[in-house]
Amino acid sequence: MSLLKIINLHKRFGDLYVLRGVNMEVEKGEVVVVIGPSGGGKSTLLKCINMLEPPTEGKIILDGIDLTAKGVDLNKIRQRIGIVFQQFNLFSHLTALENITLPLRIVKKVPKDEAEKIAIKYLRKVGLEEEFATYYPHQLSGGQQQRVAIARALAMNPELMLFDEVTSALDPERVKEVLNVMEELAREGMTMIVVTHEMGFAKEVGDRVVFMDGGVIVEEGKPEEIFTAPKHPRTREFLSMIL
Amino acid sequence: MVGIGQFDFNLFIKILPDLARGALVTLKFSSLSILFGLIIGTFFGIFRILKNPILPKIATAYVELIRGTPLLVQIMIVYYGLPAAGINLPPEVAGVLALSINSGAYIAEIIRAGIQSVPKGQMDAARSLGMSYAQAMRYVVLPQAFRNILPALGNEFIALIKDSSLLSVIAIAELTRTGMQIYAVTFNAWTPLLGVAMFYLAMTLPLSKLVDHFQKRIGGHESP
Ligand SMILES: Nc1ncnc2c1ncn2[C@@H]1O[C@H](COP(=O)(O)OP(=O)(O)OP(=O)(O)O)[C@@H](O)[C@H]1O
Ligand SMILES: [Mg+2]
Repeated sequence: MSLLKIINLHKRFGDLYVLRGVNMEVEKGEVVVVIGPSGGGKSTLLKCINMLEPPTEGKIILDGIDLTAKGVDLNKIRQRIGIVFQQFNLFSHLTALENITLPLRIVKKVPKDEAEKIAIKYLRKVGLEEEFATYYPHQLSGGQQQRVAIARALAMNPELMLFDEVTSALDPERVKEVLNVMEELAREGMTMIVVTHEMGFAKEVGDRVVFMDGGVIVEEGKPEEIFTAPKHPRTREFLSMIL
Repeated sequence: MVGIGQFDFNLFIKILPDLARGALVTLKFSSLSILFGLIIGTFFGIFRILKNPILPKIATAYVELIRGTPLLVQIMIVYYGLPAAGINLPPEVAGVLALSINSGAYIAEIIRAGIQSVPKGQMDAARSLGMSYAQAMRYVVLPQAFRNILPALGNEFIALIKDSSLLSVIAIAELTRTGMQIYAVTFNAWTPLLGVAMFYLAMTLPLSKLVDHFQKRIGGHESP
């Protein structure tokens, strides 16, 4: 059984029709890379998956549970889905360490000293030494902030990780350090949906590439298929523009 | 000779303790009111931004009602008007009540603006980690909102200290009324009123400095 199943997902913002029937399945341990032009609904898709944006129509099924059903404890479900945003969204009034311990403590009720141990462990995992633990977000570089954000999501021990253009706001020389963390995560078997413009990453790490445009999945397939022999003209056009 | 237009230094020294007592009363009433105003304002500020069919409307009506009527009238309604409805309040309670309700409306607007000054991504991130709306508000959004609105809250407190002089109409012996009483007895206006002004400044100037300090600190490192 697939870990995630998206069935006929529609999303409207008032008159704006952003998602027009998206169907997708993600197996455990799979890395799905989502590409597509701006405004195509990629971010909206990710936010629907963890129900930050409630779908207008359709089903999101995680591990057999329909998240769109009434009475589902979304606060519980969201602990199982980590998301990392383009703008980092670290809590600006908290240190790197506190960014990670706050959700552990108030959501998972982990005691303070244990939460700190977990936080340090994940900061190390994303390549940040203990000295950065006491830094506030504004004292960290973009790449460091994004790695703290990844550590914060991982510390909740999710089964599925969503990445929304996490390197787009970074200086070019900082992109690699974040991509490396994601690559390692993929190697360890994490199930991931990655929205990105980093085609190198898509080719090397992605198990499957999904091209989204106009609120639908236009084409999907193995990276080598999509990148070398795209079937759909819109995919070809998009790839010729960015490659 | 002591006259209405003359400053009497001996009288000034003599009335200092009375004025100081009046200033303390002023400080007590404004502090209590800002405290209750903060509680009221936090709730109504949050009500204003909720996606709920009635709470935002109630909050808006409250804010408009208070901002559209003079504080003096509000004080008199609470003190002289409520007894007609069978509610008798001692002047102290009526005073704090009126000032709290009044500042609560202004603070609600400050809090609303403060919450809206926190980028939406903060709420998204908090919710995505499994926090409830209330937890996200309490631990993520409000602390940042309060940091951003500290200067505005300081200014509100300064305004409240000055506005509390209106409590003199319901016989509360705060700073202004103390000055007026001294005038009534001594027929010297300059001396007590200058003293009164001086005490108000002694309370508001340090607060202004504090507000400036907060303002600079926020300017220093803004949230992304
Ligand atoms: N909360 C919202 N309210 C109204 N419109 C929205 C909202 N969120 C997104 N949209 C609109 O939905 C459309 C799709 O946005 P989305 O961010 O999902 O696209 P995207 O594929 O992620 O684009 P990009 O590559 O620029 O990030 C856009 O036109 C956007 O303006
Ligand atoms: Mg996007």
